[in-house]
Amino acid sequence: MNDFPELENDLRALRPARPSPVLFERIEEAMAKDGKASAASNSRWSWRRFTEWSRVHASDVGGQLGGAKEDRTQTPFRFGIGLAAAAAAVVLLLVRINTDQTRNEDKEIAQVAPASETTAVLPALSGGSGVKGSMPSNKFVPSGATQVVYSTRDEGLQFAAGSRQPLRRLRYQTQQTWQWRNPSTGASLRVSYPSEEVVLIPVSGQ
Amino acid sequence: MDNIASHENWKSCFSEIGPGLLLFARQWTRSAADAEDIVQEAFVKFWRRNHSINNRALLYATVRSIALDFIRRDKRRARREATVFADTDSTVEPQFEWEDEAKSALAAAVSCLPHDQREVLVLKIWNELTFSEIAGALGISQNTAASRYRYALANLKKSLQPQ
Repeated sequence: MNDFPELENDLRALRPARPSPVLFERIEEAMAKDGKASAASNSRWSWRRFTEWSRVHASDVGGQLGGAKEDRTQTPFRFGIGLAAAAAAVVLLLVRINTDQTRNEDKEIAQVAPASETTAVLPALSGGSGVKGSMPSNKFVPSGATQVVYSTRDEGLQFAAGSRQPLRRLRYQTQQTWQWRNPSTGASLRVSYPSEEVVLIPVSGQ
Repeated sequence: MDNIASHENWKSCFSEIGPGLLLFARQWTRSAADAEDIVQEAFVKFWRRNHSINNRALLYATVRSIALDFIRRDKRRARREATVFADTDSTVEPQFEWEDEAKSALAAAVSCLPHDQREVLVLKIWNELTFSEIAGALGISQNTAASRYRYALANLKKSLQPQ
């Protein structure tokens, strides 16, 4: 290392080019901008004076860099990661809670609606009166019923057991539709199903 | 907490270490403007994070890291730089100021050194880092840093000898 003292002195005589004055301005600008942004954090740090920097700079500080480098860089970094992870966990938890609440609400709506229409319809169909007045305003009330016969088939005359009078056997195929409506919300419900009906009509001879 | 300097005194601090930092950054860039960009970013980053001035290795490691990122940022640029490094390594020369014209040969000889040797030489001679600090800044062992330095001086000596 000390085999070339003259050469080392010659090298030191070469002076690196100085930074342009513009660089000082740019750094100052960047620091001022950054200083505003981190004013709060800066207040927590105790800034040392340049005199101390000069003192430290003058002395040899070798041999203590490896550990310090890791500690200085890693600790705030890890803290930041931990903070971000905690924030993400809280957000995920909130999102999950909201989603669960929405699902529960959906379930209740899906279960309640058919139940209310059943309780509203059956008395109306069987009793046929006073449904509107007795039901709460948010219940479904019957609003219509249709029966469409789309096929009639005459299956001929036949005698029922123990009867001397012939009977004509008719088979009707129909489509029945029932409708309910909620007056308060305007929602409507329609149930439609096929049905088959056999009718025996007595035949009288003239 | 020994931070780099107070906000008021950073100029004094930078005026002392700035030339060396700039010279170090020039190892990866061809233009002084790019090197100044790198030094600015590294110095502000170092200052912002309130690192200890004792940790000079970290400051130079920051410059090196930013310089490498700077090269990678633009692939076309990186390709161009890589081509330059591969073909004419000597063209990427540190800028020096000298009064004696005889020193120009020495400056030229420095610029002809292999990159890894020149890197150590720049940190040792013009930035006054210890081998321990150089090892920390470059991510190499202390022995490797010392060895590269010796090789650099030997190569310089050899190249300056009259043929």
